Amino acid sequence: MEKVLEVKELSKQYNKVLAVDKVSFDIGAGEIFALIGPNGAGKTSTIRMISTLLTPTSGDAFVAGHSAKDEPEKVRECITYLPDEAGAYKNMVGLKYLQFMAGLFFTDIDKINAAVERAKGICCLGDRLNDKIGTYSRGMIRKLLLARAVMTRPKLAILDEPTSGLDVLNALEIRKTIKKLAEEEGMSFLISSHNMLEIEFVSDRVGIISKGHLLLTGHIQDIKEKYQAANLEEVFEKVVNGNEVH
Amino acid sequence: MKFINLLKKELSELINVQMIASLVMIVAMFALIGSVASDAIDDIKESTKTAKINIIDRDETEFTDELISMLKDTKGVTLKEFNTEGDDYAELLKANKVDNLIILPEGFTETFESGKTPRLISITRMKSASTMSNVTSGNDSAIYMINDVIYDIITKNAGLTEEQVELMSSPVEVTENTVVDDKSAEIASGSIISKLSFQSSFLPIVIFMLIMMTTQSLMNAISSEKIDKTLETLLSAPISRGSIIGSKMLAATIIAIINAGVYMFAFSKFISTAADPDIVEKAVGTLSVDDALVKLGLNLSAADYVLIGLQLFFTIMICLSVSIILGALANDAKSAQNLLLPIMFLAMVPYFVSILMDINELPTVVKYVLYAIPFTHTFSAISNLSFGNMGLFFGGLIYQVIVFAVCMFFALRLFKSDKILTISLNLGQKSKFKKKKGQPEDE
Repeated sequence: MEKVLEVKELSKQYNKVLAVDKVSFDIGAGEIFALIGPNGAGKTSTIRMISTLLTPTSGDAFVAGHSAKDEPEKVRECITYLPDEAGAYKNMVGLKYLQFMAGLFFTDIDKINAAVERAKGICCLGDRLNDKIGTYSRGMIRKLLLARAVMTRPKLAILDEPTSGLDVLNALEIRKTIKKLAEEEGMSFLISSHNMLEIEFVSDRVGIISKGHLLLTGHIQDIKEKYQAANLEEVFEKVVNGNEVH
Repeated sequence: MKFINLLKKELSELINVQMIASLVMIVAMFALIGSVASDAIDDIKESTKTAKINIIDRDETEFTDELISMLKDTKGVTLKEFNTEGDDYAELLKANKVDNLIILPEGFTETFESGKTPRLISITRMKSASTMSNVTSGNDSAIYMINDVIYDIITKNAGLTEEQVELMSSPVEVTENTVVDDKSAEIASGSIISKLSFQSSFLPIVIFMLIMMTTQSLMNAISSEKIDKTLETLLSAPISRGSIIGSKMLAATIIAIINAGVYMFAFSKFISTAADPDIVEKAVGTLSVDDALVKLGLNLSAADYVLIGLQLFFTIMICLSVSIILGALANDAKSAQNLLLPIMFLAMVPYFVSILMDINELPTVVKYVLYAIPFTHTFSAISNLSFGNMGLFFGGLIYQVIVFAVCMFFALRLFKSDKILTISLNLGQKSKFKKKKGQPEDE
């Protein structure tokens, strides 16, 4: 399988705190990889380094062969990033927001229009796209932002807590959209989440991270069997607690 | 293309209904105040031409009759005589329904004839603390005229000729000259000062507004991206951080210039409607003030205006570079407001000092402290150029360029580093959770 993302011994140090310690994993084309871990485990720092927002202290991440350290602008052309609790410009109309964001990825007006049309279809906000984002509910904003993240058909979409704060129906809709895009369009996803149910439903492989260390990676079914666990939550508990004991 | 897209977004964020409404309000407010002040000035001028004198003669002698008769004959004087008794002055004004009153007390003539200075009583009603509402020429004119009449009577009684009387009233004729460096002009220095201060009264306001608005616009543009959590999305898009910050700086500059232009227009309208042209023209000597300014080399040339523009440009650039740093430090709206205070302080100090005094005349330490504030050089630019202090002007300009280069270096370093996402000053509220230094909220 073609590798869209290769993370090689990525580390991040904030003053005296080692937030990420030599993390390595990869994601293939059309694959959904979930990074899971407790609060402060180093998920967001890892994602931010891959998204070129933070500079790695050591190691590197390669997106479609481009180094996040040395070619950050090339990497940004291949990815989109949906941060946790991300907002949108409240005074902007939904449609204008999509046009503005598409305009940051493309200069060709046809490509911009195509991306916006695609986003309109994905977010299903209909006429509400003509309203100011400030009037949207949290669920509507998240749908708009997800549509924004995938409208440009990135090689890798990085979604930090894609359904955080959403009700069951909205969360389900977003999960379905992610799965569909991976299966039908071959888009790759790197997802970070606390929600094990969501991870089991949506992802192909997972990586469990704790205290900056990537403790485990593998297909969900394989690791459940390995740890003789009924679900991912049990695996998570065993891996994280086991790591703390030793 | 991508830069234009960013610039359009920044401008649409900054230009909103509130901003347009506030600008319209400012123009309307200045026009209204100007019109009201203009009416008040017209009233004062009218009252100066036609002095209304209200008088009570309690001496009732031939001398006071002659005095009153001479006042009545004076052109432009409307004189009313009253006979009300009593020493309650408020009651006297109320009873006669007037705002000013002169009383010639009993014994006025006797005192005068005994060669002593007679005393008269002047009563004026004060309606408010406002300057204009209390300007009334009635009593002042009356006292001036009474003095004049008594002076005439004394000189006539002394048997002096008209020429001698005139010589006594102004024994010396003064030809006033003002010198600036090696140039001189036949004009009173007061006239020049009036004209210069009148001309340059609104430029410091415009500079102050420019500093505040530029800083506030860019600080808000950056801090709101952090507060509304849109910055990470923007920074992860395929566009350079230089373009992001450049578009924000350009948009803030455009908005600041629009604001400054509107303020300048509104204020000049206010000046043109409210200011009395006679204020300047009154002091004109043998040379017109404008001609005198040219002769003294105090008029600003086109090149001077270019230099002022250049200094204004670097002032805005300093504000923008500092705003990037301050905007990055703010993590909520309150913090952003608090972080604006140091800039406001640094702009206000030289603003007031430059209006009230000559910075070069201040004690050395105070002078250098003021010159260390880069904005001081902008506020004193006109004065330096007018009076040929070119060393001070260019020294200030070079200092501003250096300050800008240093601030911009740190601002770009900050914006291009991880710190744009990790640093913050929590001035708005007490931190609920203590974080380890330099560590982001969520690892």
